[in-house]
Amino acid sequence: MNSLPPLIPVAASTMAYQFEYLFWYITIVTTVAGLGVYAALLYFCVACRRGNTTGSTPRILGSTRLELAWTIIPTIIFFTFFGWGAVVYTKAVHPPQDAMEVFVIGKQWMWKAQYPNGQRVIIGGNPRNMTEAERNSIGKLVLPVNRPVRITLVSEDVIHDFGVPAFRMKMDVLPGRYTTAWYHPTKTGDFHIFCDQYCGTWHSLMVGKIAVVGEQEFDEWLGGNGVQQGTENPVDGSIAHKGRELFLKLQCIKCHSADAKAAAPVLEGLFNTRVPLKGGGGEFADAEYIKQSILKPRLKVVQGWEPIMPSYEGQVTPEDLDALVAYIRSIKRGTTPNTTERMNPPVGAPTVRSEKQP
Amino acid sequence: MTTAVTSVMPKIAPPPPEPAPAEPNYLNINYSLWSWLTTVDHKRIGILYLVSITVFFLAGGIAAGIVRLNLLAPDGAIVSEDAYNRAFTAHGVLMLFFFLIPAVPAVLGNFLIPMMIGAKDLAFPKLNLASWYVFLVGAMFGVWAILAGGIDTGWTLYPPYSSRSSTSNVVPGVFGVFISGFSSIMTGLNIMVTVHKMRAPGMTWGRLPLFVWSLYATSLIQLLGTPVIAITTVLLMVERVAGIGIFDPLIGGDPVLFQHLFWFYSHPAVYIMILPGMGVVSEVLTCFSRKNIFGYHAVAWSSMGIAVVGFMLWAHHMFVAGISFYSALLFSFLSMLVAVPSAIKVFNWTGTLYKGSITFQAPMLFALGFVVLFVIGGLTGLFLATLGTDIHLHDTYFVVAHFHFVMVGGMVLGYMAGLHFWWPKMTGRMYSDWWSRVAAAIIIVGFFLTFVPQFVMGYHGMPRRYPNYPQEFHVYNVMSTAGASILGLGYLLPVFYLTLSLFFGKKATGNPWSATGLEWQSPSPPPLFNFDEAHMPVVVCGPYEYALGIDQMGRGLPEGPGLGSANDPSDKHGESAAPGPMNKETHVVG
Repeated sequence: MNSLPPLIPVAASTMAYQFEYLFWYITIVTTVAGLGVYAALLYFCVACRRGNTTGSTPRILGSTRLELAWTIIPTIIFFTFFGWGAVVYTKAVHPPQDAMEVFVIGKQWMWKAQYPNGQRVIIGGNPRNMTEAERNSIGKLVLPVNRPVRITLVSEDVIHDFGVPAFRMKMDVLPGRYTTAWYHPTKTGDFHIFCDQYCGTWHSLMVGKIAVVGEQEFDEWLGGNGVQQGTENPVDGSIAHKGRELFLKLQCIKCHSADAKAAAPVLEGLFNTRVPLKGGGGEFADAEYIKQSILKPRLKVVQGWEPIMPSYEGQVTPEDLDALVAYIRSIKRGTTPNTTERMNPPVGAPTVRSEKQP
Repeated sequence: MTTAVTSVMPKIAPPPPEPAPAEPNYLNINYSLWSWLTTVDHKRIGILYLVSITVFFLAGGIAAGIVRLNLLAPDGAIVSEDAYNRAFTAHGVLMLFFFLIPAVPAVLGNFLIPMMIGAKDLAFPKLNLASWYVFLVGAMFGVWAILAGGIDTGWTLYPPYSSRSSTSNVVPGVFGVFISGFSSIMTGLNIMVTVHKMRAPGMTWGRLPLFVWSLYATSLIQLLGTPVIAITTVLLMVERVAGIGIFDPLIGGDPVLFQHLFWFYSHPAVYIMILPGMGVVSEVLTCFSRKNIFGYHAVAWSSMGIAVVGFMLWAHHMFVAGISFYSALLFSFLSMLVAVPSAIKVFNWTGTLYKGSITFQAPMLFALGFVVLFVIGGLTGLFLATLGTDIHLHDTYFVVAHFHFVMVGGMVLGYMAGLHFWWPKMTGRMYSDWWSRVAAAIIIVGFFLTFVPQFVMGYHGMPRRYPNYPQEFHVYNVMSTAGASILGLGYLLPVFYLTLSLFFGKKATGNPWSATGLEWQSPSPPPLFNFDEAHMPVVVCGPYEYALGIDQMGRGLPEGPGLGSANDPSDKHGESAAPGPMNKETHVVG
């Protein structure tokens, strides 16, 4: 068992601060009022107890002035709660125009998110309810710090609720209707996502994490770098992920594998390093060099390798080239696919294909 | 402070002699089971309800025990997720539909309303018996659903989970709720008509005991609200059984529509649960402080205010459910309005104690516990009615703690106060003074220990209905479960000492608390038709003339043997005269 958590839970968004000010305003006002009533009760119970009195009491019927006072004053105080609460709520439900957009889909019992550039990530759910591929790719909802994000929510089945306590925000996730929530994270770190609307057997396991990261790290991740992901591979749907698919489809992997049969340089950690060239000299492995090496591979051959690579000119579009560069950029040590790997279906694809191939 | 001296003092008649024990009384007139099952006596039907809801309270308590024990470990200490979901649903359904809603209206209301207004029975005695049978049929469906595999939807039954997804016994459970709703309507109708048509001579609306006012307000809600839950449950069953799309968007329905319909009843229903408790507290606080109620009209009209305004704020359960921005604003505003009459009541109860002569028997301890816990329950409701805070606190343990403070801290303690206050009248026996005070203390302390940690947990984000939770909530859950074990012990004690009192308790006099209401003017236990045919009560004054020392018939209050201690409300220090006021004048405070 842990020791007691801090009095005020971590507040990681602008909304969280808005909430805390209002929460403590109501807490203090109601505590003062409540303690006032308790003090009066206690005083009367002690001072007016039978042993302290003769048993005979005055006939007090009431007081219009007091009734008016304790009707009007609480009403005014309650309306301050309402007014301030309405201001906070107005901000909470109206995302700013420039907010980045992320889509989140809930289904029993997992969350899937998709970013505007197409990349998809499973951000949590019940491991007992997932396919192996899904289990391996549980990631986090990565958000940039200090940038507003609008989350558009929809459910595939029953009602869920996308709640993030650290952001002091939650919104029901309905089937057949879009709802939105928005955050302006102010702190980096990992925060809980809870399903707050009861949705069946594994309701309590429909939980995940939000990772709020720095601007640069976020851009890096958005480009396909998988450090915030369950696996080391590029985020599904990202440009690097597309590059990885091309890398397999165009058979690059046949030679650029990381095993003993490799007939070409290993690409792990290649990007932005200096490579020695055959016949002396060297070249900085930036996007330009990589593109050139795909289109005119025999122009600048790396030292120690034979010029056997065919030209891909005409087979790849400029977009494909960008995707391949993004992928090569994302390959880290030990993440080169093995030569027999097939392309996975997109993460979170609605149907589970049979694992057995004929 | 100004003091207005009333020029003419009412002449105080001597205390009535102790009424001769009724032979036969309503209990011993016929011992056969058949006579109980076919009785149309409102008192016997009240006892039938008392026995049935006690069974459901214990069953619901067992379900709560499973829930709390399972939460001892972050991944579930004793049962699977499915079993946990069924346990908290059983707890909610049993406690709400089969305990809280019938608790005070059907037990104490049935028993006391006719006696308090000086009538022989309710307006429709046979309808009253029918209501109990309908309740039992509904409850049997509920129990069948729970025992034969359970329901796993939560008591809120939100579709499309309940209509499409759940594989549990939703239909029998919902059908049970549907049926038992009719029982609630019958009771409400009966009480309402009785209060309108059967008051004793002189019992004007301004002289009604506040318990009657609060039950009148409750009956209004039961009569107008319950048909809506009947409609809702029928629509849900139609969708689940026949696949007709009403709530499920897959087949053309709207899930939010269900929430509107459901809360249109279920929010006023919380006032069905709490208002009668407020009525009990008004009776008990005045009797044990020997004072007139402070602000009779304010307390009476605040009950009606709660009943009426209570119908207009159902959507505050739905601020994050996808309702429109402007309706959220409106419902938050209206929710603030309902907090005002509740606050008025609390202030008036506190004012009632001022310059009283207070004794602390079990009913008083329970009533004071009600006020203390209801203050917290009511004030924390403001956090949830406020939009900006509800958006975080919604569906967390903060909500759970809030409504337990109101429903259990408020209503169950109010019910206990009423049960202990009128137990001598109902059974003719006194229970153990010491044990009952101990039980009241244990229940109040255990209650705090159980639910205060839940406020903290909820504020930190722990969601409702979670058998698995992150490690950081562990310590609070352990604290809460530890408190719940104390609370459970507190609830078990009355089962024993009240049962024992039936056989070994001292015989109670007609008016053991020296109280003013008409129900105390007949012997304990009362005869079949409550009052002596020849001397039907005639009311001459308001209900709480403790200061003047007269009952509602204008006679002095008796000094009963009571509990035989100097701290007894009926004790007068051996003086033979009525316990008159110190100063025979009316104070107007403020």
